[in-house]
Amino acid sequence: MRVNYRTNATVQFEILTEDQREEIFHAALDVLEHTGVEVHNQTALGILKAQGAWVEGARARIPSYLVRRALATAPSSLKVHSRENDTQKDIVIGPCRVHYGPGPTCVNMIDPRSGERRKYLRKDAADVARTCDALPNIDFVESLGTISDVTPDLADVYEFAEMIANTVKPIVAWSYTLDTCRDIYQIAVAIAGGEERLKQRPNYIFYAEPLSPLVATSEAADKLVFCAQHSIPLVYTPCPMCGGTAPATSAGILVSALCESLHGLVISQAIHSGAPFVMGGVVSIMDMRYSILAYGAPELSLQSAALTEMGRHIGLPVWSTAGCTDSKLMDEQAAIEGAISILFAGLSGADLVHDVGYMEAGTTGSLQMTTMDDEIISYVKRLLRGIEVTPETLASNVIQQVGPGGQFLATDHTLEHFKNEFWFPRLMDRMRWQDWRANGGLSMPDRVQRSLDEILRDHRPVPLQSNVQEQIDAILANAEARYSVRTTHA
Amino acid sequence: MNDTFTQISNAVYEGRAKDMPGLTNGALAAGLTPQEILDRGLTQGMQLIGKDFKEGKRFIPELLLAARAMQASLNILRPLFVQTGVKMAGKVVIGTVKGDLHDIGKTLVGMMLEGAGFEVIDLGKDVAPEQFVEAVKHEKPNIVALSALLTTTMQSMGRTIELLKEAGLREQVRVMIGGAPVTSDFACQINADAYGSSAPDAVEIAKKFARVS
Repeated sequence: MRVNYRTNATVQFEILTEDQREEIFHAALDVLEHTGVEVHNQTALGILKAQGAWVEGARARIPSYLVRRALATAPSSLKVHSRENDTQKDIVIGPCRVHYGPGPTCVNMIDPRSGERRKYLRKDAADVARTCDALPNIDFVESLGTISDVTPDLADVYEFAEMIANTVKPIVAWSYTLDTCRDIYQIAVAIAGGEERLKQRPNYIFYAEPLSPLVATSEAADKLVFCAQHSIPLVYTPCPMCGGTAPATSAGILVSALCESLHGLVISQAIHSGAPFVMGGVVSIMDMRYSILAYGAPELSLQSAALTEMGRHIGLPVWSTAGCTDSKLMDEQAAIEGAISILFAGLSGADLVHDVGYMEAGTTGSLQMTTMDDEIISYVKRLLRGIEVTPETLASNVIQQVGPGGQFLATDHTLEHFKNEFWFPRLMDRMRWQDWRANGGLSMPDRVQRSLDEILRDHRPVPLQSNVQEQIDAILANAEARYSVRTTHA
Repeated sequence: MNDTFTQISNAVYEGRAKDMPGLTNGALAAGLTPQEILDRGLTQGMQLIGKDFKEGKRFIPELLLAARAMQASLNILRPLFVQTGVKMAGKVVIGTVKGDLHDIGKTLVGMMLEGAGFEVIDLGKDVAPEQFVEAVKHEKPNIVALSALLTTTMQSMGRTIELLKEAGLREQVRVMIGGAPVTSDFACQINADAYGSSAPDAVEIAKKFARVS
């Protein structure tokens, strides 16, 4: 028997050393303590002050022991449940379990059937949810856009309502204000069958975003407080860009992004010890020619992966970013940027990887991109699985049996292992040229579109129970009534 | 003479704000007029770096440094402009609208407009329609520039234009809008005069407005 033997169960990947992670963490603690954050919210400010932060006006300086105290109670693992008690579709957040999903709030949508670039509409939220429900490597759902053909201030609630009716996979929701955050919560309660039940078995995740650098806006803080009060799993993460709203250096953006999540953590844990909280963000560069947050930049992948390591270092689940591109087309650029970012995020072991399907630096959503990304994720998962080294897999006895000049095609060993060892493409093409030509000579975008067309045509998600749909409709109607009262009195 | 203008232009191009007071005062002492210094020194430098920026040889931070250098000189020249009747390219009141704290885009536009020779009154962020109206009354700009990053705060742009109309000021200004969720369709919807898709685009629009008004 072999002793003192270490194996790799999967591919190993590391950007920072333990010492570097400590340096970055200490720099973040230092910034929180000496620079602090601006909090535009009396409730949140009051909570920080009561905890022991030094508050002057809107500026809160947070001594490091408050951060450590919050980290001690924050969970590093949690479950988010499918609405249909389908444990296969639950999201189990634990160290290095990678989950992928799209992103929200693009202004435009690539029509999933015609390819036309147009405004994002209510029906798109339904199509996106339904497609994600079908795609095998998408684990959670976001809408890819902001609905433009409903009451503008209620686009967030309509989006959630459309999505929850069209997928059993957990949704990551967002809202403009506390009011609509509450509406979305009410919908989730209706689906769970009660507030207590929802608390024990959360069925959605909520996303709120501080403003870089180092600002908790009034709305973000409202939502943070609400989620902590109700134990709603919360992603509280920034979208800084190096050279613009964060330092130009990668280590610098890690520091500022950490601060932008951690001040939220202190508030969250003060309200409710153990409230589920996810850190991370969209950490890229500001392109200095075109002034965009570059979603296809290598820095996005590098910094996201390093931020993920920081999350693991301090014991928090991480929200990362991949599957996105600055390209305007489903072209080689989209494939390169999508693939490398998906690979890096997978290697880093980020818990929730979003923006799968983002094009044009997040201004346009594309189910074609999401579908192509689904294939890439599958491919990457095979890579991440690594190589198993055992007597069985070393196969010396099989080599012996087959002997020099023999073949392995019909051996028991091959039959037993090939289906598990090999990755089987769904959309990548491996035909020889003649066959490929005879089968229509399809390109990757063609095959992606064909797959998407099939899903849109055939996939039926498990429907909501009718009483639940009624409750959702009532919540929407109430929201509309509340909105029209506001506007008539305005 | 040419040498002085070149020195000033170079200092702007290279973003050497610290050198500007010395160079500016020196030029004035040598008998050069504020108008000449503006046109042949400052604007010249900005145009050169603007051209290189378009060609991808210089980048936004360098552009901003140049604009800052130009401002350092303008701080000295501005009081003299009033005396000598020098006109800036135009006057812009800019701000991020009510409810919105995102201002990096707006700041970028403001600095680029300054670099293009506009006088810019930056109202900051979370600016209510009433504040824009007050600023227009007080500052008498020819351009109002509105920025928003959130689809909800975009609505405030429409209200600001409405309020300008009610105050009888709408005709006096050109309104341009911008920000990630903003579109030219939306600009038409709220009767804005233009939509700027990027900071350089905003500068071109402002220049166009200035030529016509």
